[in-house]
Amino acid sequence: MTAAKPAMQRLRDAVNEVDFNRFRFWFQITAFILFVYGGYLAIDLGSKLPFFSCGYNREGRAGVCYLLPLQHQLGRNWAVLFSMASLTILTGFLTFAAWFIVLNKGWCGFVCPLGTLQDWISALRRRLGIRYANYTQGQFAQLTKIKFVLLALLILIPLGIGGGLFSHDMSPPFCLICPARMVLPLFTGDLSQFTIDFSSKTAVVMTALGISVTALFFVGSFVKKRFFCFFCPMSALHYLISKPALLKLKKDGSKCTRCGDCYAVCDMEIKEIADDVKTTNIMTDDCTMCLKCVASCPETGALKATFVGIPIFVSTETGFIKRMNKGCQHGK
Amino acid sequence: MENEIHQVIPINPVPYSRSRQAGEAQTVLDHIVDDFQENPVAMQYFYDLFRQVYCHGDEIPHSGKLVGTTCIQAPEELIYAFGATPVRLCNGSYHYDQRGADFMPAKSCSLVKATLGMLSSENVIPKIGKPDLVVNPSTCDQKKKSSVMIEGMGYSVYDLEFPNVKESEASRVYWRRSVREFANQLRKLTGKRLTRANLKAAMAMTGRAQAAFRTLHNFRRQTPSLILGKDAFLVTNAYFFDDIERWTTAVEKLNAELAERQAAGFRAVQSKAPRVVFTGSPPIFPNLKLPLLIEEAGGVVVADETCSANRMLYDMTAVDEWLLSDMVDSLADKYLKPCTCPIFTRNDDRKRRLLDLVAQFKADGVIYQAFSGCQVYEMEYRSVAEEFNKAGIPMLYIETDYSPDDQGQLSTRIEAFLESLKNRKKRHA
Ligand code: SF4
Ligand code: SF4
Ligand code: SF4
Ligand code: SF4
Ligand code: SF4
Repeated sequence: MTAAKPAMQRLRDAVNEVDFNRFRFWFQITAFILFVYGGYLAIDLGSKLPFFSCGYNREGRAGVCYLLPLQHQLGRNWAVLFSMASLTILTGFLTFAAWFIVLNKGWCGFVCPLGTLQDWISALRRRLGIRYANYTQGQFAQLTKIKFVLLALLILIPLGIGGGLFSHDMSPPFCLICPARMVLPLFTGDLSQFTIDFSSKTAVVMTALGISVTALFFVGSFVKKRFFCFFCPMSALHYLISKPALLKLKKDGSKCTRCGDCYAVCDMEIKEIADDVKTTNIMTDDCTMCLKCVASCPETGALKATFVGIPIFVSTETGFIKRMNKGCQHGK
Repeated sequence: MENEIHQVIPINPVPYSRSRQAGEAQTVLDHIVDDFQENPVAMQYFYDLFRQVYCHGDEIPHSGKLVGTTCIQAPEELIYAFGATPVRLCNGSYHYDQRGADFMPAKSCSLVKATLGMLSSENVIPKIGKPDLVVNPSTCDQKKKSSVMIEGMGYSVYDLEFPNVKESEASRVYWRRSVREFANQLRKLTGKRLTRANLKAAMAMTGRAQAAFRTLHNFRRQTPSLILGKDAFLVTNAYFFDDIERWTTAVEKLNAELAERQAAGFRAVQSKAPRVVFTGSPPIFPNLKLPLLIEEAGGVVVADETCSANRMLYDMTAVDEWLLSDMVDSLADKYLKPCTCPIFTRNDDRKRRLLDLVAQFKADGVIYQAFSGCQVYEMEYRSVAEEFNKAGIPMLYIETDYSPDDQGQLSTRIEAFLESLKNRKKRHA
């Protein structure tokens, strides 16, 4: 209660009271430019990135999404797969995990170009004054499983291809239907992915499916916030290895009033963020760690993001009031 | 027949200020103002307001249609957005309580009786005028049953359907629909349209009021206290009928004074004064009986969990996209989800909120008021007491009503309780 606050506390207050949506908007743009155009500056961050920096964006990419090499590696001939070469799978996975651990699902909320793109499509809808859609609780419970199914297929199908059970035209199976493959190269003027491959029946089916998914991506993202993330197998993989992550989303249930403000702003419609007052590690499988919930919680200390245990962004009453006032008076 | 009687004994109406009812308010207000020392200067606004409205019977002007609410669950932002003025009808006067006894069984809640008594009088105090619509959320049984009676008195009543189970998703969906229907009703009443701009403006207005309330609330964390609970209750009671902008400005002034007090190291109470969290049936002027007894006896009410103060103003709304639909849904959620009203099936949130208040406000104990006849608060007593027992927090449970008759007996109990809190504090120190 003294007049002069220590510098550290002042910094903390400044962070906690930041105009969060604006901060995140600019952060995402920067990351988008880096990963979609960084390649032109010869930036190459490897091929084990834990988000959709699509490998098919050949010229602009500043690194490659891990799912691409993963599917290729798993799709090797079984003889090779079960030899020493499998060590590369392990090292690949460890590199991926090392990247992932730093930001946890924060890669999704702040960095992934495909995630950012969905936020932009949402912003467009909002500017047009159209309301977003929600799932019912029943739909949510069913649909939330899909990403795990996709992840399983993304591992099993390549294994099947390597064993000669499926055609090579299906490889890499998830990439063929991944919207990022068509959408991200568009930003560097590359339209080549928008074709149907007529070389075989399987190829026709897979590429046609890919185009349909991409169409669905645009429509879906327009009506639903972060439409695709809900089904994203990368997100499922994240969740499975999120235990040791350094960035964490924490909740102190004793300070929570269950007002539901955090749920109201959550793009992923995660009810637990508001209703669960027991779990301290509150990141769920669908979470993108966008931290919007932290920014819109009015209870000081109820929600926070920590990095290696140190709180870096904490919900505060003053921060809430500042941000909501902004929205109330001249928000979009 | 009636006419004949009137002819025989002509009624000479006494001016309101000399009525028994004005006397009741006068006594309480004098007590609040004169029997305590060093009241904040900024409280004068509230003292004057209550004196004008309750003691002199002055009229309170309002703009647009008047919408009476019988509960905090009626979203006032919507009412403001339609250019109407909300007024909370829950009443605290013993005079009206007695009048209302005609409508309800003998053992009913004083608050409900007083509200009915007030609405059935010709000369309603506070003098706000006749509500164009009375919104009665379907909360406790006594309130639910009041609807028809209020209608019988010639008011147009709208039953705002409120769920009894708040955890389920079905209740969220149901309540959001109720709130939309309420907006429809208001549209019919006012002939105006709900727009993004007017709802946003209304939310900015209540948002500012809430921020002012929270600041006041936070000042009460200070030990020893900067302000007494009786004043804080008077402030929130004024919110029932006062012009919201004027109210907010007055609270902001009070906050500025409290900031000065804090900087000057001011103490409104002795440093060993037991700090009390108040919960249960709501104190509404002039029935500030319990808070006053507590503070007369040397305690201080540092926070409360009641629908005439904290529960009414504390919880704030977050909106993601400032579109009409998102705003209305967020508002609906804020009225349902954090609410700690005892009419719900479970009361986990109420218990957690109380524990948090005790911890945050460094309270020494809790005083739980249940109006006799308020079954829901009476029934929740057990579970709340158990929770406090587990946490080692002393609690005093008081069943009472609006009648002043039990004051002597209550003050003995309260004094004994506060004494035990003091001793406990000494032992712990
Ligand atoms: S197509 Fe999708 S899964 Fe494949 S590399 Fe590109 S972003 Fe990754
Ligand atoms: S969940 Fe969304 S943000 Fe995360 S990797 Fe998948 S597409 Fe990108
Ligand atoms: S916004 Fe904060 S207080 Fe409200 S439900 Fe979420 S975590 Fe709890
Ligand atoms: S729970 Fe919070 S961090 Fe996770 S997606 Fe929802 S708003 Fe974002
Ligand atoms: S005090 Fe009890 S009975 Fe009276 S209105 Fe409130 S909940 Fe209903």
